Amino acid sequence: MGRDRGIEVENLVREFRKGPRAVDGIDLRVQPGEVYGFLGPNGAGKSTTVLMLTTLLPPTSGTARVAGYDIVSEGPQVRASIGAALQEAALDPFLTGREHLNLQAALHGLSRKERKRRGDELLERVGLEDAADRRVRGYSGGMKRRLDLALALVHAPRILFLDEPTTGLDPQSRSALWSEVSRLAREDGVTVFLTTQYLEEADVLADRVGIIDRGKIVAEDTPEALKEEIGRPSVEATPAEGVGRDAVVRVLGQFGEEIPAQPGAVAVRLSGGAAGLADVVRALDREGVRVANLRLDEPSLDDVFLEKTGRSLEGAGEHEEGEDMETAQA
Amino acid sequence: MGGFFQVAWAVAGRQIYKYFTNPAFLAPALFPLFFFVAFAGGLTRVGDVPGFDYAAGYIAFQYVWALLQAVSMGGAFTGFSIAGDFENGFARRLMLAASNRYGIILGYTIASLVRATMTGALVTVIALVTGIPISGGFDLFGLIGLAVLVNIAATLFGAGVAMLLRTQQAGPLIRTPIFLVLFLAPVFVPLNLLTGWIETVARLNPFTPILTAARGFLAGDPTDVATAFAISAALVVALALWAVYGLRRAEKAG
Repeated sequence: MGRDRGIEVENLVREFRKGPRAVDGIDLRVQPGEVYGFLGPNGAGKSTTVLMLTTLLPPTSGTARVAGYDIVSEGPQVRASIGAALQEAALDPFLTGREHLNLQAALHGLSRKERKRRGDELLERVGLEDAADRRVRGYSGGMKRRLDLALALVHAPRILFLDEPTTGLDPQSRSALWSEVSRLAREDGVTVFLTTQYLEEADVLADRVGIIDRGKIVAEDTPEALKEEIGRPSVEATPAEGVGRDAVVRVLGQFGEEIPAQPGAVAVRLSGGAAGLADVVRALDREGVRVANLRLDEPSLDDVFLEKTGRSLEGAGEHEEGEDMETAQA
Repeated sequence: MGGFFQVAWAVAGRQIYKYFTNPAFLAPALFPLFFFVAFAGGLTRVGDVPGFDYAAGYIAFQYVWALLQAVSMGGAFTGFSIAGDFENGFARRLMLAASNRYGIILGYTIASLVRATMTGALVTVIALVTGIPISGGFDLFGLIGLAVLVNIAATLFGAGVAMLLRTQQAGPLIRTPIFLVLFLAPVFVPLNLLTGWIETVARLNPFTPILTAARGFLAGDPTDVATAFAISAALVVALALWAVYGLRRAEKAG
């Protein structure tokens, strides 16, 4: 097996005492340079999977290779190949941002000169130059996350694990972190394994998405393919004042079968996909049928989750055990 | 092996840096000073008791115990730091970055030695100021050698407990056994003046030969030296295995 194989997981299981299987026989492949979104509610098994793949928690059974190295028998090689920003940014409040980077680089065996060069470069990249010499106890949540990302990158890893990296961040910080993750994957060719419970995050960042629920992967593909799998997009039009509903039905009916819509509106499932929207607009114009509102609805990853599990992802984990609880039972 | 030492130096560097840059971490150094001043100052007349035959005098008698207490508690406080690192999640960062995780134990041990050196030096300065005699047969290297081994043993014990429990609740479980071992030895008078159950316990206490040998070094009268070093070395080996066991349990728990 080559050393640049990204991540390969076969039948990985983690059981905790007095608890259910947090991870229940998952299989997945992440190609080098790919951004893989691991999506699921709280307690689904996302963080437990990351802990196993980063060699912080041994699996109960199954195998996994990260960067071509076995996570159980070749832990040091795995750790040298990966960077990880875990759910809680564990930082030492008595150290500055620069001191954290120096420590992390020293742990990875970088020379003193290289530590300084790499530290300066990463502080600039994550926008913390001005705060570099302040103790991190004064950092905001967003600054801590950015420092955590810089720490994960200090030894230029080939594979990066990000465990819910934007949880608790304001929209601006979230957007900045998304940009940096995209840049890492596109420009530096870093393989990114990203866990998230935010649908939008997975949709924006991930080349492929795996959806995990109750320790099992219930769906895996590109976000587009997953959404297509459960249905084509639909278009909904609300007739303008004075325009009969039948006229709108007649026009839209040419583009697909009618489906339930909001009161007073007309909706059809577009048989030609989202690309058919332009044709709909042209047809309405040609027929002189004016509409007050026209909306394209595409299936979301939440619809995919609903289809695969029978529950909505938003809030699906609220009544389940948190993963911290699972870990505490180890 | 390179990974082992690079991890050790990195971990030690962080601990030492924090020790010297945060006054709060220096506070534990006051405990041995307090014990030394209280015992040596308040109990000096014990040196006049018939049968008290320690040649270097009562202040020196108490200094040796205070020194070993200082280095032992230095190890215990390092254990508290390790427990804190596990509780707040920082240890996970170390475990994630360390190619060789045994280096983490060595790193904390090196830092503990530096800490103990500072505290020990402080106690020694106070002892010199208060009149401890420096006589001809004084074996400084023997005394320091035993103090180093005691510090390492205490650190490894604390590290094992801290990694096993991974919470600051480990504090009492680290501190209490060390205190018991320290105080169930001939602290205030020589072994020959102890009677009853305390004499029995003191004779069985592995710390007693170490304390006796250390006092012998100071008085220029080496006593139980081989036994003391053998016990110290055995404790270091046994407690190193204990610390490794704690690390492995921590690895399994994630």
